[in-house]
Amino acid sequence: MSTLSVRRARVKDQAAGSVTATRRRTQTEQRKRGGWWRFALIVVITALVLVPIIAVVGLSFQPSLGSTVKGNFTLENYSSIFTQTAVVTWLTNSLTVTVVTVVIAVAVAAPAGYVLSRARNKLVSGYSLVLFVVQSLPVVSAVIPLFILFAKFNLVDNLVGVTIIYVGSTMSVAIWMMAAYYDSIPIALEEAAWMDGASLFGSFTRIVLRNSLPGILSTAIFAFLLAWNDYLIALVFLRSDPNYTLPVGLETFFQQNATNWGLVMAVAVVMMLPPIILFSFLNRYFSVGGIGGSLAGR
Amino acid sequence: MSVSSVAENLRRARRGVGVSGSGSGAPRPVRKSKRFTPRTWTLLAFALPSLVLLLLINLYPVIYAFIQSLHNGTLLDSGPFVGLKNYTDILTQASFWNAALFTLVFTIVGVFGSWIVGLALSLLLRTHIPANGLFKVLLLLPWIVPVVVSATSWNWLVATPQSPLPILFAHLGFGNVLFLADPTLAKIVVCVFKVWISFPFMMMMMSSALASVDTNVYEAAKVDGASNWQGFRFITMPMIARTTFVSWILMTIFCVNDFPTIFLLTGGGPVNATQSLVVLAYLTVFQNFQTGPGIAIAFVMTLVLVIISVVLYRQIRKVNVE
Repeated sequence: MSTLSVRRARVKDQAAGSVTATRRRTQTEQRKRGGWWRFALIVVITALVLVPIIAVVGLSFQPSLGSTVKGNFTLENYSSIFTQTAVVTWLTNSLTVTVVTVVIAVAVAAPAGYVLSRARNKLVSGYSLVLFVVQSLPVVSAVIPLFILFAKFNLVDNLVGVTIIYVGSTMSVAIWMMAAYYDSIPIALEEAAWMDGASLFGSFTRIVLRNSLPGILSTAIFAFLLAWNDYLIALVFLRSDPNYTLPVGLETFFQQNATNWGLVMAVAVVMMLPPIILFSFLNRYFSVGGIGGSLAGR
Repeated sequence: MSVSSVAENLRRARRGVGVSGSGSGAPRPVRKSKRFTPRTWTLLAFALPSLVLLLLINLYPVIYAFIQSLHNGTLLDSGPFVGLKNYTDILTQASFWNAALFTLVFTIVGVFGSWIVGLALSLLLRTHIPANGLFKVLLLLPWIVPVVVSATSWNWLVATPQSPLPILFAHLGFGNVLFLADPTLAKIVVCVFKVWISFPFMMMMMSSALASVDTNVYEAAKVDGASNWQGFRFITMPMIARTTFVSWILMTIFCVNDFPTIFLLTGGGPVNATQSLVVLAYLTVFQNFQTGPGIAIAFVMTLVLVIISVVLYRQIRKVNVE
């Protein structure tokens, strides 16, 4: 329904544009003149904003200290980090932890979000409030008790332990995002299925989930970013080099080679590529607004 | 799916219009009934995994943390019971109040700085600009790039006298500016870094809110003689008010809980100038090995945050009903 109203507004826009030809012409002229100023402005702002990121990429191709390479461009940093450091292990660890987190988070949040979206009673809205409060708790206060608990189960310095915490900490927002997406799916579809004798589970898997791909992708991207970028949990729980994920690996490597920027930045590039690649393919599905919408709606 | 379309659906649902057209209130396949129907069981099963995780990963640590904050223990041993001594200790410490003050400043600058930048950029990107979509994606990068990477890069930019920014400032005639060695400058750098990381989030929130504002309204207002500022103040602002409010709340939570932004750039220094409460709690536990006081700090912060978030949560609902 919401897309319909947007579409209607767009049609109205086009209709309004064609009311009088003269008005439209002056408007486009104004737009063009103002447009170039704004274009220049946005180019300058974007360039300034991206300086730190461009610096990372640029430095990673510069010859590092004590290098025999002449000139300003080299791939030497990349070949040396892959041969001399555990960056491949860190990358594998990070990818494993992140992918498993995404899969479990979506699997947990998809049905739970459905409950929040469709069942409206005191109990459910209480649950929603608990999720909201939990989301606002500082991770650092949860880390210590979890550390003690996980030490008992041998989950410290263990990628499984870290994954469990990531799932727990993405969960609240993931559930809200799924619930917000379900809210936009007309319940009439399900009601029709129930009439035909489908169970709640059947209508959920065959109708709701099947129509929720954008919502699922959006949630998945959120969980990916959180798990991939986390530093605090990995710092506390991962204690040995072969178990490091990229954030801890990069930070440790940076502290050991602080002046050798070429090498450090090459690791940094390895770390920032996966989220950028993911985002460049899927960014149209990602609506951070969904988070706000679900929060505002409940 | 935009914020307001979802919110709009819900408001309609409450009024009884319903997403599906007409019918009774919000969609409710399950009513609170005395009997447990198969549907109730299904819904319970749907919620169960999240409930287990919530109890294990989120609620258990909070309860345990509270108990631990009443003991004088270490990481692996709960130690003797000391009552509220940890709390009175930290509340009388100057370092706690310094950290609290810096957390406040950091949060206020982080929330409003990123909001103003994000809103300005989303308004700018809303106008007809060539390659509009490209800029939208490029400007998201500070938020997508992992904070460890951007902190490393900012370190390269500002940390030492040989870094580009101090050299630039020296050429401009400011002399030797040491960004991370001077307490005030370090605070400013950390806050600017936070705004740099957070504004894309605000930009996304504001863009999705602005997308639902009908542009015809502006033309109508212009015909009636409204200036651009008036158009913004009296048309745009009220229409994006709810999203703005939500984004402030979320960003407040993000800022108060933020650890890596500060820790990776300054480690809390120089002379503890950029210690926020989270950093102070972390250092107390993992560097000074004082578990009790460390958790007490985190817990005082948690308590304040929970109160703030419950109050704000109700506020959002109120705004929503209007």
